[in-house]
Amino acid sequence: MIGISRTKFRDFIPVLALLLLVAGIAVLEPGFLRPANLLGVTADTMTLFLMASGATLVIMLGSIDLSIQAVASMASCIVAVLLPDWGPLALLVALLAGAISGLFCGLVVNYLRIPSFVATLAVGGVVTSIAYWVSDTRSVYIAEEDKAAWLDWATGTSFGIDNEVLTGLVVLAGLTVLLSFSRFGRLVRAIGSQERAVIATGINVDLVKLLAFIVAGFMAGLAGVVMAARLGSGSPTLANEFLLPAIACIIVGGTAITGGVGSIWKTFVGALIVAVMRIGMTFVGVTVFAQQIVFGLVLVIAVAITMDRTKVSVVK
Amino acid sequence: MNDTVLEVSKVSKSFPGVKALDTVDIVIKRNEVVGLIGENGAGKSTLLKVLTGIYQQDEGTVFLNGSKENFRNPRDAFDRGLAMVFQEQSVIPTLSVAENIFLGRENEFVKFGLLNKRAMNAAARLELAKVHLTIDPSVKCSSLGFAERQMVEIAKALSLDGRIDGEIVILLDEPTSVLERREVELLFQIIKELKQRAAIIFISHRLDEVLDISDRIYVLRDGAVVHSTDADDATIEELHEYMVGRQLDHEYYRENRQRDDEKQPLLRVENLSLEGEYRKLSFELGAGEILGVAGVVGSGREALARCLAGLAKPDAGSITINGQPQTINSPRRAVKSGFGFVPSERKTEGIVPGLGVSENMTLASGNRFTRYGLIRFAQEKREANRWIEQLNIRTPSTSTAMQSLSGGNQQKVVLAKWQLVGSQILILDHPTRGIDVGAKEDVYELIRDMADQGIAILLLGDTLEEVIGLSNRILVLRDGQVSASFDAPAGGKPQQVDLIASMV
Repeated sequence: MIGISRTKFRDFIPVLALLLLVAGIAVLEPGFLRPANLLGVTADTMTLFLMASGATLVIMLGSIDLSIQAVASMASCIVAVLLPDWGPLALLVALLAGAISGLFCGLVVNYLRIPSFVATLAVGGVVTSIAYWVSDTRSVYIAEEDKAAWLDWATGTSFGIDNEVLTGLVVLAGLTVLLSFSRFGRLVRAIGSQERAVIATGINVDLVKLLAFIVAGFMAGLAGVVMAARLGSGSPTLANEFLLPAIACIIVGGTAITGGVGSIWKTFVGALIVAVMRIGMTFVGVTVFAQQIVFGLVLVIAVAITMDRTKVSVVK
Repeated sequence: MNDTVLEVSKVSKSFPGVKALDTVDIVIKRNEVVGLIGENGAGKSTLLKVLTGIYQQDEGTVFLNGSKENFRNPRDAFDRGLAMVFQEQSVIPTLSVAENIFLGRENEFVKFGLLNKRAMNAAARLELAKVHLTIDPSVKCSSLGFAERQMVEIAKALSLDGRIDGEIVILLDEPTSVLERREVELLFQIIKELKQRAAIIFISHRLDEVLDISDRIYVLRDGAVVHSTDADDATIEELHEYMVGRQLDHEYYRENRQRDDEKQPLLRVENLSLEGEYRKLSFELGAGEILGVAGVVGSGREALARCLAGLAKPDAGSITINGQPQTINSPRRAVKSGFGFVPSERKTEGIVPGLGVSENMTLASGNRFTRYGLIRFAQEKREANRWIEQLNIRTPSTSTAMQSLSGGNQQKVVLAKWQLVGSQILILDHPTRGIDVGAKEDVYELIRDMADQGIAILLLGDTLEEVIGLSNRILVLRDGQVSASFDAPAGGKPQQVDLIASMV
């Protein structure tokens, strides 16, 4: 490894894993490598990536956001219900609702001093109830003309590329700038690495956390909107079963659950790994129900590899 | 018959960049109290951690009761007869006294699968009697005072008597640091009685106490045993000289650079109080002045430092800077008011280990290194390089993670951080704790530089000597109040004994 330090090398293990998985499937099914197919797989992965992208910031803080699947479902309901009457305003309301859910998560963590794991679980419960109330506990279908008019940006194609992929790339670029080039991003990493030192330095740690939760809620809301566009309906259970894969792709990408280390491109790679794994499993005949077992296992292994053990002397 | 209970033979232990223990030889005989002294960073705690299996030595051997030992952890060491009474106590507050004493050894009292609490309490009572403690063994440890909990720990160690083969060794790590004088006397009386039952290692930085209680004394410095003597033949002055490795040296603290001219008043603290910590503290601090604060643990000086840093809120009193009253209710406000805090817990409160050197330096500088919300990396790097050169910080690059720097270099980065913000008042809480001798001198030089620039410095020194050597003036705190105040001009420094007299 000339010129590449060991930590740098570790950064690229997920990329190697992704290439190996792709190569493995390509051996079994050479058609997998066709550009159109790869693009399609990437497009299918983007909702998962959107959901995980904002939550990456929260995990880098050393916290966790368990409300994202509830928020995405709620956003899908809001879009489906409001679109006929409100048009594009419905999108705005859905995204705003996501951001507000994140705001509440952050407020509960900051002002009630409750661990994020409990706070976001509780807010997630509230959000789910709101989704049921908004949708009147049913799936709400989106009429074709509404979809064509207002959701084409999410599901159509531009320059021959699926719009999901473009949305994903825009988010990837935007959050990378936020995380790597802004003071906010640096403070997120700092808090995850050693919060007490950041507090003692006189930084408004609560504000940074609040913003991170808001971003996570907003991105979960966006994921819900895109999901609704793809499926043509909104439902209070639309994003169920997405939480575990979302957390898995953050961690599999190499972001440490203990905070301080991570980036958005890692989550992007992680999302692709999860998606390719899923395809691979379907290919070799693992049923959808059994796939959660594999995700669970991969998550545990990835956490064990990436976590910073100097930070955790006692595991609870 | 061989009287040796514990023998440490040629033990060495290295950490990256520092040899913490260098071929250490120590022997403890039956019925003996051995004193172990050394400055902070001399290797005392590393030795204890090797003895109790928290660290494994790189070289050398430990013999206990004649057999070669390689303890895997403190529990392993305990089961073999080597018990440590920790400075931060290890009793579990939610368990009863008896449960703590026999933690992990409950099987002795199990009958038909059930724990016979009455038998366990009775056995605990026997052990407690050895330390003259007449408390009910079924009460929870959380209801006990500090001294009582310490006695419970010692009783726990004594409970090994008769339950293992061979002699017990009890390690007492700074056992007197938080005790009242009366409690210290009681502890010493008990130690004298315990000599019949166990060999004891007594670790302290209080030389008078070590002389008083020990039969023999080892002095550690820079990881090596530099002196060993019978206590009867030793004097405090001699031990002190061995401990610091030189006679009191004025140059060491850059006394020649001390300026004792009239200072422009800057900080004024009036009647500051924090319930349970300190009461009605009043003092002034001038620009360019170094004010030392001396006092034992619990004297209130740590709490005072944390209040000025905004990490604790005083109940009453006022803080004025340049005549302007300040409300310091958060670290943010403290930094805005011009305070900079160099904490004693460098690794948790001083540095962000995962961030790079330059990122740590500019952490407090707000948006000074951003444009349109984006960080100006080149400008930041330039500034960081300037400070790296100026403060002689040894780091491969500006982006090297803080955690891979040595303690001394980390501390310099923390000091650079506050100078970058332009802090007017620095609170230095044990600024040289756990850093090596060379880096210490760099830090002293730096403190003089900052004083020259007109920065006011409140210094809680790591040693009394350091406080005396660096300060213009010294406040001594006792039980939360100012018990004395000394002028400490260059060439007219007060004596340690004078300070100690008002500390205890």
